[in-house]
Amino acid sequence: MAPDAENYTFLCPPSKEEQEQEPVYRAPSHYNPRSTFHLPTGAGRHYQQQYDDLYFLRLAKLKPTVEKVATAAWDGLIIAGEKVRRVDRVLDVRQGELCWVAGTVYMHLPMKPNILEDLSKENFTSAPPPRRTYTDPSNPSLTQIMMEDESGRLRLTGNFLRSTQLATGAIIAALGTENANGDFEVIDIKLPDLAPQPQRWEGKASENGVEISGKEHGKIAFVSGLGITGTSSDTLALELLTDYLLGYTGFSGNNDNSPSLGSSIITRLVIAGNSLGASVMSEVAPTISGDSQPKKYGYDASAYNAAPITELDNFLAEILPSIPVTLMPGEKDPANFSLPQQGIHRTMFPQSRAYSAPPCRGDEKPEAGWFDSVTNPWDGDVEGWRLWGCSGQNVDDVLRYISIEGGDNSPDQDTDSDTRMRIMEAMLRWRCGVPTAPDTIWSYPFQSDDPYVIESCPHIFFVGNQPQFKTATIQGDVPLRLDGDTEMVGAADSSDIARVRLLALPKFNETGELILVDTETLEVEVVRFGVFKGQEEQK
Amino acid sequence: MDSKLYLAENVLNERQPVTYRLLSRALKVHANQAKHILFEFHRNENAKKPQTVHATYVISGIQKAPEPAPTNGHANDEDEMMQSSPYLPSSMPNQDADSHSIRTTSIMLAREEDLEDAKSTFHSISTIHVYSLEPTALPDLNALVDVNREIARTHGQEDPLECGKQWGMIQNRNVKRRTGARPPPPAAPAVKAPAAKASKPSPKSTVPAKRPLQKEASAAKPEATKSDDSHELKSAPSSAANSQTSSKPSSKAAPAKQKGNGNLFSSFAKAKPKTKESAPAESAAPNAEDVVLDDASEEEAEELFPDSTDKVAAANRESRKAREEKLKKMMDDDDGDEEADDEEMPDADEEPREPTPVEQPPPSKPVELKEEVTVQGGRRRGKRQVMKKKTVKDEEGYLVTREEATWESFSEDEPVPKKKPVVNVPKAKAGKAAGQGNIMSFFGKK
Repeated sequence: MAPDAENYTFLCPPSKEEQEQEPVYRAPSHYNPRSTFHLPTGAGRHYQQQYDDLYFLRLAKLKPTVEKVATAAWDGLIIAGEKVRRVDRVLDVRQGELCWVAGTVYMHLPMKPNILEDLSKENFTSAPPPRRTYTDPSNPSLTQIMMEDESGRLRLTGNFLRSTQLATGAIIAALGTENANGDFEVIDIKLPDLAPQPQRWEGKASENGVEISGKEHGKIAFVSGLGITGTSSDTLALELLTDYLLGYTGFSGNNDNSPSLGSSIITRLVIAGNSLGASVMSEVAPTISGDSQPKKYGYDASAYNAAPITELDNFLAEILPSIPVTLMPGEKDPANFSLPQQGIHRTMFPQSRAYSAPPCRGDEKPEAGWFDSVTNPWDGDVEGWRLWGCSGQNVDDVLRYISIEGGDNSPDQDTDSDTRMRIMEAMLRWRCGVPTAPDTIWSYPFQSDDPYVIESCPHIFFVGNQPQFKTATIQGDVPLRLDGDTEMVGAADSSDIARVRLLALPKFNETGELILVDTETLEVEVVRFGVFKGQEEQK
Repeated sequence: MDSKLYLAENVLNERQPVTYRLLSRALKVHANQAKHILFEFHRNENAKKPQTVHATYVISGIQKAPEPAPTNGHANDEDEMMQSSPYLPSSMPNQDADSHSIRTTSIMLAREEDLEDAKSTFHSISTIHVYSLEPTALPDLNALVDVNREIARTHGQEDPLECGKQWGMIQNRNVKRRTGARPPPPAAPAVKAPAAKASKPSPKSTVPAKRPLQKEASAAKPEATKSDDSHELKSAPSSAANSQTSSKPSSKAAPAKQKGNGNLFSSFAKAKPKTKESAPAESAAPNAEDVVLDDASEEEAEELFPDSTDKVAAANRESRKAREEKLKKMMDDDDGDEEADDEEMPDADEEPREPTPVEQPPPSKPVELKEEVTVQGGRRRGKRQVMKKKTVKDEEGYLVTREEATWESFSEDEPVPKKKPVVNVPKAKAGKAAGQGNIMSFFGKK
C-alpha cells in the first residue's frame, strides 16, 4: 500500500550517514502592544459610574469629525430651491426646514433586552438569554431609529433608512427635514469615515529602522476559536497546527510552486478568543438522593474541570519556545465577561507563563511578554502594522440589529458572512469598534475615555469566531481625502489612501483554518488542517 | 537498531500507535529523521508480513477546489457585495481584487488505505510523510491526540529550548523566558487534574498553620493547652458560622484521604483561622507574595509536602500529651470526613483506656463544656421546634440553617449524644462514627 515512489522526500528510508540537519531560525517579530483597553486594576476599577459618560465622550470625540465630513458634502447645497442649513443640536430642528444635524444613533428594537422591563416584570435573571436578533422580522415597523445628543432625541424616518444599516452607538450626520409627525425625514447620512491611518512603523515597534527595510516577507498568523475541550474529541487539527507552527511538518518546497517556504516565516501567532470549548465548570451531576451529601456553599473545587485550560496550556507551552503568541480572551474564556475583557490571568497557565512578561511593579510600563495575554478588544503594532481586533462579540451583536432577510431560517452562509464583512467595514467608517457597547454588549463604564472609538485606523482589522473565513480590503473615501482631512496633520503623502485589510476569522475547531497575513503586502493565505474522511468514516 | 527495537516494542508488542514526534522525542532524533524511520519500519515489516503495521500519512499541498470552493465561492461576489454596501452609499473604490486569489493550502491526515483518494483531491502535493504507525487501522484518528498528549507527559521534562534543535523545531533567537521560576511541574496530567487541583489549595492553606503547629507540638503542656483553649474559644463563635464556611472543611476532605496526613490536615483545618488571627504578620506576608509573585507561592506550596510529612513523623514521636491534643482537636475539628474517622477512631479508642481522661478534662473541659451546655442545650431545644423550618437561631443570634432532612428522625429517637453532634457541626461526625461511646464518656465527665 505504500505510495509509489514519487519523489516525496520523506518516503524513503533514512540515509545512512547522519546528516546534520540545519537548524531553521524563525524571523524575529516586531511587536508593540498598546494598552488602550487595559482597565485599572484593583481599587482603581469602579462600577458605580453611569454609562452616559461613555456616550457623551463618544459624541464629543466624533461629532466634530462627522460634522466636518457633512459640511464638506452639504455646505451650500441647495435642494429644491432651499438651502441646506446646519443645526447644532437635535432639538433645534424646526419643522419643514431642510437641515442637517449630527448625533448618536439609538435604535429601539422590540426584542432588545431591556433592564427596566426585566425589573418591572420581576425577571431577575442575571443574564438575558442570547437572542439571534433583536428585531422582530414579522413586524419591522416596531423598529425605531432615533438620533440623540445632549439635548434630546429625534426620531428618524424615511425610505433612505431602509437602504442603510445602522446600529446603536454610531455617530452620524443626517440630512433631511422634520415632517408633520415630528419625525425627521432623512435624505442622506454621513459617517465619520476611516480614521487617519498611521504609516507603517509609526508605532515604532522596531529598534532601528535600518533593520526593517529590506526585510523579506514574513507572515502573521491568526487563529480563533480553538475550542479546546481537553477530551479526546479535540480535533487532530490542533496537533497538526502545532506541528506546522513548530516546523515539524509543512511544505518542504520540493516543487517550485510550494506555497511558502515553511512556517519559519511566521513571526507571531494571534489567537482571537474562544480558545476553550467546554465549559470550565462541569455540570454538577445531580446526586442520587439517599446519601445526602453535605451541601457546599460557594465555590466547589470538585466541580471545576481543569482539562480544557490544561490542554490549552500544554498547547501554548509547546509552541512558545518557537513562536511568540498573543492571546486574546473570548466569550467562552475564563476572563471577565464584559468588554473590554482583560487578559486571561497567567496563573491559568502554569507552564506557559514562564514566557510571559514578569509582573510589573509600580508604575513601570509593562513590557510586552513573549507570551502576551492581552485584552479583548485589543490593538497593537505587529511588524509595523497597526492591528485592531476583537474576538467577535462586536460583530455578532451588531448583526442582531439587522433584520435578516428570510426570517428565522438561517440565512445562507454567503450572505451571512457578507453581512459580517459589511458590519466590519461600517465599524471602521463609524470609527467605533464596538458601537453597541454599552447598550447591548456588557461593558465597563468608562468615565474619562471611550476606548472603543478607533482614533487611528488600523491596517488589519480582525474579528474572531466568525462562521466562515472572509476577507476584503477597504479604502478611505478618495474625494473626502482630497477635501483635506485636517486631522491628517503632516501626513507624509495624503495621496496615500488608507487601506484596511478586514479579516473575519473562522472558528478553528470547525474549519481547521489558520489565516496567514503577509507582512509586506498584507495578502492573505489560508492553511487548512484536517483529516481526510476516508471510506471508513463515510460509511 | 535502536529505533527498530523501539518500534517493534511499541507498535507490535504494546500495540500502541507511535507518531513521528513521539519517536523523535523518544530517540532524540530530528523529526525528519523520524519520518524516515517510520517509513522504513512500515515498509520492512509489511514486506515480511503484510498488514502487520498500519500507517497514517500527512499530505500537504494545494487541494483542488471542492465543488463549491469556499474561497472561490465567496470571492466571486466580493466586488458586488462591497459596491452594494449600504453603509456608505457614496463611492466605494475598488475592493479587494486579490481576494480572488486567496491561496489555500491544506495539511491533511489520511489513513493508509485512503491515501490515494486523498492524494487525488490535491491539485499539487508538496510533501507526504508518515505521521504515525499503528498495529491496525484506527477507527478514530483522534486516538492520535492521546499519543501526542502522552509526549507531554513522558517527555515534558525536556527543555524545549535546549532540545528543540535536536527535534527539528524552528528555533527562535529572541525567546524570552523567565528563569526565576522553574516552570514545568511536569505537565500536570489532564487526567488526574481534578483531584490534584482539589488538593492544591489545601496545602497552600496550611502555610500559615505550619508554624503554630510546630509550636504546639514542641511546646510544653501548658502552652499547648492554652493555645488549645483559645482555639476552643474561637471555635465556639465560629461554630455558628460553620454552616457558612462548611465548604472549607469539606474541601479538606480530599487531602485527608491520604493516609498519614489525614489527621494532621484535619487539625490544620481548624488551626488555620486561629493562626491567621494570632499571627497576622506571618500570614500576611505569604498572601502579599501570592498576589505579587504567584510563582513563588506555588513553589512554597510544593515544598510543604515533605515538611508536613516530617511533621507527621515528628508528631507521632510526640508524647501522649501531644497526641491527646491532636485527638481532641480532631474530635472538634474533623468535620465531614468519614475516611479520616475510620482511620482515627482506633486512636480514639485507645485514649480512654489510657491516662488520657485525667489529662484531658482539665484543659479543655471548662470552656468546652460551657460552650456545649449552653449552646447545645439552647440549640437542642430550639432544634426540635425549628427543625421543620430548618433554621435555628442560636444564642448569639446567628441563624443556623440545616440542610439534611435526616436529622429530624434522629432528634426523635436518639437522646442526647446524637443530638449534640448535630448542633456543633465540627463534632457531629466524630460523634456519629465509632467514637460515640468515647465522646459520651468525654462529655459525661462534666
